[in-house]
Amino acid sequence: MASVPAIPAEGPRTLAMSAAQDLIGGLCRTDLWGRLGWLDVKRRYRRTMLGPFWTSISLGIYVVCVGVVGAGLWHQDIEQYVPFLVSGMIAWLLVSTIINESCTLLVAGHALFRNVRFEYSILAYALVWRNFIVFFHNLLIYVMAVAVLQPRLIGFTVLLALPGILLVAANGVWVALLCGMFCLRFRDVTQIISSVLQISMFITPIFWPPGNLSGSRRLFFVETNPLYHMINLVRAPLLGEVPSASSYAVVLGLTVLGWILTYRVFKHFRKRIAYWS
Amino acid sequence: MAKVIVENVRVDFPIYATQRNLRTVILKRATGGLIQRQGKKHDRVVVEALAGVSMTLEDGDRIGLIGHNGSGKSTLLKVLAGIYEPIEGRLLVDGRVTPLFDMMPGLDLEDSGYENIVTSGLLLGLTRDEIERKIPDIEEFCELGEYLALPVRTYSSGMTMRLGFALVTAIDPDVLLMDEGIGAGDARFAERAERRLKDFVGRSRILVLASHSDTTVKSMCNKAALMQAGRLIAMGPVDEIFEKYAAMVHGPGPIGGGSN
Repeated sequence: MASVPAIPAEGPRTLAMSAAQDLIGGLCRTDLWGRLGWLDVKRRYRRTMLGPFWTSISLGIYVVCVGVVGAGLWHQDIEQYVPFLVSGMIAWLLVSTIINESCTLLVAGHALFRNVRFEYSILAYALVWRNFIVFFHNLLIYVMAVAVLQPRLIGFTVLLALPGILLVAANGVWVALLCGMFCLRFRDVTQIISSVLQISMFITPIFWPPGNLSGSRRLFFVETNPLYHMINLVRAPLLGEVPSASSYAVVLGLTVLGWILTYRVFKHFRKRIAYWS
Repeated sequence: MAKVIVENVRVDFPIYATQRNLRTVILKRATGGLIQRQGKKHDRVVVEALAGVSMTLEDGDRIGLIGHNGSGKSTLLKVLAGIYEPIEGRLLVDGRVTPLFDMMPGLDLEDSGYENIVTSGLLLGLTRDEIERKIPDIEEFCELGEYLALPVRTYSSGMTMRLGFALVTAIDPDVLLMDEGIGAGDARFAERAERRLKDFVGRSRILVLASHSDTTVKSMCNKAALMQAGRLIAMGPVDEIFEKYAAMVHGPGPIGGGSN
């Protein structure tokens, strides 16, 4: 039968997939996760005129209002404060939305993986990809704010945000898988994570300049706060600064440790995922 | 050559959200797998969905899985599809497995028919090129015409089924897994669908079909397998197995623990 696709002639094989096969095989299926991520964005804004730019517009309004209030509160110039706020906010939205959506990754995806067999990691790649599409829309607000207030910020240093963004993506995938598994097995974790994130938004220097804190508070909320370093890698270049070596060190360390942990958990529990759903 | 080897497969489902009174009920009911308690304090409730299932399927086998509700038919299909990895035992497969539990996985009502064909096709394991090549055939068979460019939410349920049917039957499967027969649409379409389904099943090397309908099993299968309480209790010619099933249904109550 010519219509039957070629089968590797190695005889019967097991259908069980190892964690590594899942992660690498999933990454290779760019057509599938690219499509799932893109369609998710597209669907959210079907029948709207401005599409994904709606998030950008509400972000823009937010930045203008909070920018004016915050500049007064922290005695900053609007020209200094608003670019700081807008670049911090788009980085924070990227990071926090990835973490938040991770909780429902497998709970929401169960209709899929209980009917067809595919790499679970595809869902994680799709999630991260979808959030990057939104991030690049939000970048427009940054460009507009900076073009009006401080055009000199847009230079070659901005390109340094790229390695930062890639590191956020690398971390996003393990966070999505790890949180996805935990929240599938223990449904309370979702609530815990969303409350922690809500608080983190205020205790991480996004609205307030990190330089305003000193002593042990600074040590706790800034220096040892992984979210700060993660955001700093994207925000600093957007403000024309080179991110500090310590931020790179912390985020690289987090990437390595996170992946080791996630790989071990995934390797051990991967085959239980279908049973937990 | 396609081949499926199932060796002594066992599948347990952990139940996490148990209420106290469920723990006290437990065991020996007419339907479903065995409910057991495990763990040190017997506080983990586990449903034994499959136990000691072994079978070997070769090219040309068309197996009808029959048995009560909850006897493990669908679970066995999902094991064969690689969705549930067995707790014990193993599964070896030669050939591409096509599970048709959901004709359009990833279906989104806001997406157009064409968009859904691509998404579902990718999820069913086709490549983008394969899908593009099959689209003319799908278009022609489902007869949805310009509707294919509209969101699926504008379709009637029969039209959605036509789309799913046209898509899955365009696949070239080696090992085909079906939970209940698939059919679609109005009388005229049903006739064409039957022909297409015959052809589709004919292209497959191995078919495993779980069904309660003896006409479906008798028309599509050359063997049957009887399941009870998670165990495979008999496999052989269709008529013989249906006799056993009838005897079981009308005979004395269920054999809670199952036999060999």
